[in-house]
Amino acid sequence: MSVASVLWLAFAVFSVGLFGLLARRHAIAALLSIELMFNAVNLAIVGLSWSRGILSGVVLVLFAIAITVAEIAVGLSLVLLAARRAKTVVLDDLSELRG
Amino acid sequence: MRDAAFWVLAALMLGGAAVVVTARSLVRAAFGLAAALIATAGIYLLLTAPLLAAVQILLYTGGVLTLVVFAIVVVGGEVSGAMYRKPLAAAALSAGTFIALSSAVRGLPSRPPVAGLDAGAAIGVSLFVRDYAVPFELLSVLLLAAVIGALLLARKDGPA
Amino acid sequence: MTAAFWVLGGPAAAFAAIALVPPLRRSGRAAAYLAVAGSVVSLGAALALAAPFFLGTGVPSAVTALWAPVAGGGAIRFGLLVDGLSASMAALVALVALLVQVYSLAYMDQESKPALGRYFAYHALFAFAMQGLVLAHNLLQTYVFWELVGLGSYLLIGFYWEKPEAGRAALKAFWTTRIGDVGFALGLLVLWGATGTFVFTELFAGTADGTYAVAPIVLGLAGIYVGAMGKSAQVPLHVWLPDAMEGPTPVSALIHAATMVAAGVYLMVRVSPLLAYAPGLCAAILAIGVTTALLAGSLAIVERDLKRVLAYSTVSQLGMMMAAIGAGAPQAAYFHLLTHAFFKALLFLTAGSILHAVHTGDLFGMGRLARRMPVTAACFAAGALALAGVAPTAGFFSKDEILGAVLLGGHPIAFGLLVVNAALTAFYIGRAFFLAMGGAFGPAGHPHESPWLMTAPMIVLAAGALLGGALTPAVPRLLAASISPPVAEAGKPPMLVAALGTLAALAGFSAAWMGYQRRSFVPARVHAALGPLTTILARRYFVDDAFVFVYRRLYLGGSAAVGWFDRYVLDGAVNALAWWTWLFAGRLRRLQNGRVQDALYALVAGVILLAWLALSR
Repeated sequence: MSVASVLWLAFAVFSVGLFGLLARRHAIAALLSIELMFNAVNLAIVGLSWSRGILSGVVLVLFAIAITVAEIAVGLSLVLLAARRAKTVVLDDLSELRG
Repeated sequence: MRDAAFWVLAALMLGGAAVVVTARSLVRAAFGLAAALIATAGIYLLLTAPLLAAVQILLYTGGVLTLVVFAIVVVGGEVSGAMYRKPLAAAALSAGTFIALSSAVRGLPSRPPVAGLDAGAAIGVSLFVRDYAVPFELLSVLLLAAVIGALLLARKDGPA
Repeated sequence: MTAAFWVLGGPAAAFAAIALVPPLRRSGRAAAYLAVAGSVVSLGAALALAAPFFLGTGVPSAVTALWAPVAGGGAIRFGLLVDGLSASMAALVALVALLVQVYSLAYMDQESKPALGRYFAYHALFAFAMQGLVLAHNLLQTYVFWELVGLGSYLLIGFYWEKPEAGRAALKAFWTTRIGDVGFALGLLVLWGATGTFVFTELFAGTADGTYAVAPIVLGLAGIYVGAMGKSAQVPLHVWLPDAMEGPTPVSALIHAATMVAAGVYLMVRVSPLLAYAPGLCAAILAIGVTTALLAGSLAIVERDLKRVLAYSTVSQLGMMMAAIGAGAPQAAYFHLLTHAFFKALLFLTAGSILHAVHTGDLFGMGRLARRMPVTAACFAAGALALAGVAPTAGFFSKDEILGAVLLGGHPIAFGLLVVNAALTAFYIGRAFFLAMGGAFGPAGHPHESPWLMTAPMIVLAAGALLGGALTPAVPRLLAASISPPVAEAGKPPMLVAALGTLAALAGFSAAWMGYQRRSFVPARVHAALGPLTTILARRYFVDDAFVFVYRRLYLGGSAAVGWFDRYVLDGAVNALAWWTWLFAGRLRRLQNGRVQDALYALVAGVILLAWLALSR
């Protein structure tokens, strides 16, 4: 197990998550994909931090996790709101913010 | 021994990610995410950061995922019609991203590094007292804002 | 020299007064008297100018004023040139104008007062323009007054504007002469480019001593001849003259006999010193002249309308004058111009007198007028004899000179054709005379002789037509100083010419007498016997049809082609551009469709690019 393999793994999961974000039609599925991406990034930071033996990476990831929690809360509220108002959770149909 | 554990956890993580993007039922996708998150926690352990692993399981898997499942229950977890939009373009772009990122994997130390990320006390001191005290306070403001925002948005008669 | 100003000033003042003072115009008679007064002043001044030249004591002079400076230090000057040629022509124009205006006082008395005022205003304008043309000091000034004369002609031909035919005839005259004027303008441009001057004397001198290259001079001359073709009704630009008979008859007498159509011949006489350098052009002028003479002569013998017979006769005589110029004898052409003015104007005035009496111009609707209108008949006879060239009328001497010049210039075929034309001339005018004055039928009603205001001018012109032969020796004196170096005198025409001319006239008259007076043969049967020839004559040699063809097929066809190009190629290009713009706009619009995942594509692509840039160092 080396840093390189950790990073490869992180990048792979990040790419899978990116695919899900771009391709899936359901809003919550997109949010889940975003979580995957976040998670991958956190993994990469921790891996690098471990390889250099410094702690700031870990602290950064702690912060990131907290922010992620906040973000997901707000995001899910938006999805609920959209479901209630526009009666749809398909991202393609939520397209009024344009022009 | 360590390597084997890592590879197992890696497989689990990737498998979970695959489930997230390919499951038609969102509940299944949520559980796929759970698997990926737990696998990550396992890898954090292997990377000698047990605090982080604990936080990962508590907050991420326990908190975020629960929220997500509740949302799925309220909103509905299936989408009628096609599951993907423009899958080919998305796949192309994802592949491109992976290739672009892969160029970062160089100049890395090849020997296994020293252990030592498990100094919980050191983390605590750095976090609360010395380096990141102010950002820590600001983080709590952020969490407050998020909570208020979420409450506001999700009210029965909307944010208006 | 100040007399020259009065030649122009008289009519100009009359025109200005009538045009600017509406009550004067609307009063009719007062305007008429004012115009006549202007003409009297003009005639007096012109005679004063011309007398010395007739007597051989005149000296050419010019007075000029600066008109426009030219870059490079030169200048265009406008002014009046007085020599034998211009002074005699000015006198002729003034005389005929005065006689016609006096005649009109009686002929047009049925017109309403404002119409009468308008008529005399146009007459004054025309007289001013014509005198300006005659006395012009340089070619550019000639061109300016040339156009003014065209305007006056348009106004006078279209005088009865309520009749659509009159309007069309006026337009046709204007457009046909315009074609010639384009050639004139091009010739002017070439001359200016080659020589830098328009002044006649400078052009003659410069070409003679070799300052100016000959080739552009010839080209410019060709352009000027094209202009003369238009005004003097040479084939194929002759088609306007018969139609111009829609105007009042006194107008025809003035414009289409004596003055405007003569302007082309006058101009060619004026520039004749330069024709010596253009033998090819002269050959063309001769050929076109002879063709014109014969074509018009043949058309005159089948015409039913008296005025149209005279119109074609004018075209034919103009062809003869141009033939003389082409044969290198401008003095013969000018002499014939002078005599023709007298007898043709006379013939038109008698035609007007007949029209006034019987209210129709159809030759087959009148007859036996000789008894009822003796003065008119006598004048008609005088004009007819002069036109046919019977000795000792003025017409005999001038026609003789032309025939002699053509023969002695080495053009036997042209000479023969012109003799044939002489026979035709006598035939058609004899036909007209016998049908109108003789014949077995008579018109309905009681035609009577015309009032003295009409007969007096006719008698004056008749005197000139009969006695004008006395001027023969004066003509070379008149032109001596103008045409310098003088064109070589071809010597007196041999008696052969006089004999042939008289023979032709007798032949023509006898044929007319036998056919229309004695009824020895029925001309209608001859018509039928000649079949297709009659058709060609009836369709006027298809010249009008040719013009219509060129306009409809070529010009309008060309316009349609240009229009197609404009609509489908030019507009098509613009429309295609617009279509492409819409297409791409439609495509680009999809970037902004409000769907977040589409925006993410752009974002991710940018991130990849940045990552690659950052990480590949």
